[in-house]
Amino acid sequence: MNFIQEISLFAEPVAHIGKYVITNSMLSSWLAVIIIVALSLVLRSKINEIPRGIQNLFEMIVESSLSLIDQVTGSRKLSEKVFPIALPLFLFILLNNWIGLLPLGWMGQVEHVKEGFAFIPYLRGGSADVNTTIALAVMSVVAANLFGVLSIGIWKVFNKYVNIKVLSTIPSKIKKDLTVIIVAPITFFVGLIEIIGEIAKMVSLAFRLFGNIFAGEVLLASMAALIPYLVPVPFVFLELLMTSIQALIFAMLVVVYFTISSSEHGEETEEIREEQEEIREELSSA
Amino acid sequence: MDSIISTFHIDVKTLITQAVNFSIVLVVLYMFALKPIQKIMRERTAKIEKGIEDAKKNEEMLRKSKEDYDQSMAKAKAEANDLLKDMKKEVSEKRSAMLEDAKTEVAAAIAAGKQSLESEKQKMLSDAKKELAALAIQVTEKVLGEKVDASYQEKAAKEVSKI
Repeated sequence: MNFIQEISLFAEPVAHIGKYVITNSMLSSWLAVIIIVALSLVLRSKINEIPRGIQNLFEMIVESSLSLIDQVTGSRKLSEKVFPIALPLFLFILLNNWIGLLPLGWMGQVEHVKEGFAFIPYLRGGSADVNTTIALAVMSVVAANLFGVLSIGIWKVFNKYVNIKVLSTIPSKIKKDLTVIIVAPITFFVGLIEIIGEIAKMVSLAFRLFGNIFAGEVLLASMAALIPYLVPVPFVFLELLMTSIQALIFAMLVVVYFTISSSEHGEETEEIREEQEEIREELSSA
Repeated sequence: MDSIISTFHIDVKTLITQAVNFSIVLVVLYMFALKPIQKIMRERTAKIEKGIEDAKKNEEMLRKSKEDYDQSMAKAKAEANDLLKDMKKEVSEKRSAMLEDAKTEVAAAIAAGKQSLESEKQKMLSDAKKELAALAIQVTEKVLGEKVDASYQEKAAKEVSKI
């Protein structure tokens, strides 16, 4: 009997409900959801003016998260708006990652595959399935753009990608500055590239997280295959740290995207340009 | 693209499931944890800020009260000192007056006493002289064995009063 011991690139199906396939990553995600919901409900029931126990811990997490987000946004007001998305994102990814590291190797099923028999674990890191990371990345980038619409208005967000505004300024500025004929179309095309940039954001977010978590699982499986029990232990701790860092990176990048989308496009360059024009006018009048 | 989808088993149903999972986390965590925690933290911060402000106000009030108290005390002390000075002066004056009165009274009493003593002395002396005259008459009558006449008695009384 040929027994295959390798980790597949995709989440393995462990059950079916009609045509709907339940994968082991999905089970991990559901477990993460159950844990977070349970913790939230426990916390809600214990909230008191004088914090104790779990409330103390959560308040500490909230306060330190806000301080960390402040470093990116530079404004507490903006941080408080982004924070309700960043923290759940971080916790969801973190729990998904950690569930994949649980030493529950015996929990699974042996399935007959083409090459022989394969052991399919019931739990696989949620982020080790690209479907999870793509879903999170798409939601994050779309939410960032919606946040931009709410913060600076739909017209400004639209002009960030399809910069009609800059094209419309050509006739008025051409007499003052001839370079506008070259600068304005370039700015317009830069805007179009921004659309590709948004897609790139989703792809990079999704595949960075997936790649790192999947690589960690492969590493652990390889170490366990070489010398079981003892050798993988330090790597498990390394993975605990690494998965936390990956969750933090994902959440912080989302905070960065939210911050960028809430600021007006070319705000600084416009200011610099206005200053330059003022200086030029002063020089010409002198 | 198809190869990527087939390699990674990208499935729309799974994508939607994971999106729903995260949405549940987002909503539940916000409604049951983040929102109430942030609310209570904001309330606490407001209370602490109010407490600090009140403490500052109280401190200021205390400082003012202490200043007022010190001022009042200084004023009261000055007034008390003035009062004491006045009272001392008054007492001293009264004492002097009383002493003078007492001295006068004592002098009067002494004078009255002296006068009374003198009159008593005079009275005693006159009584003694009368008795002495009577005694002398009695002695004379005993010696003579007869009663002396009135002229002798008068003479004897005159002689005794010369003593």
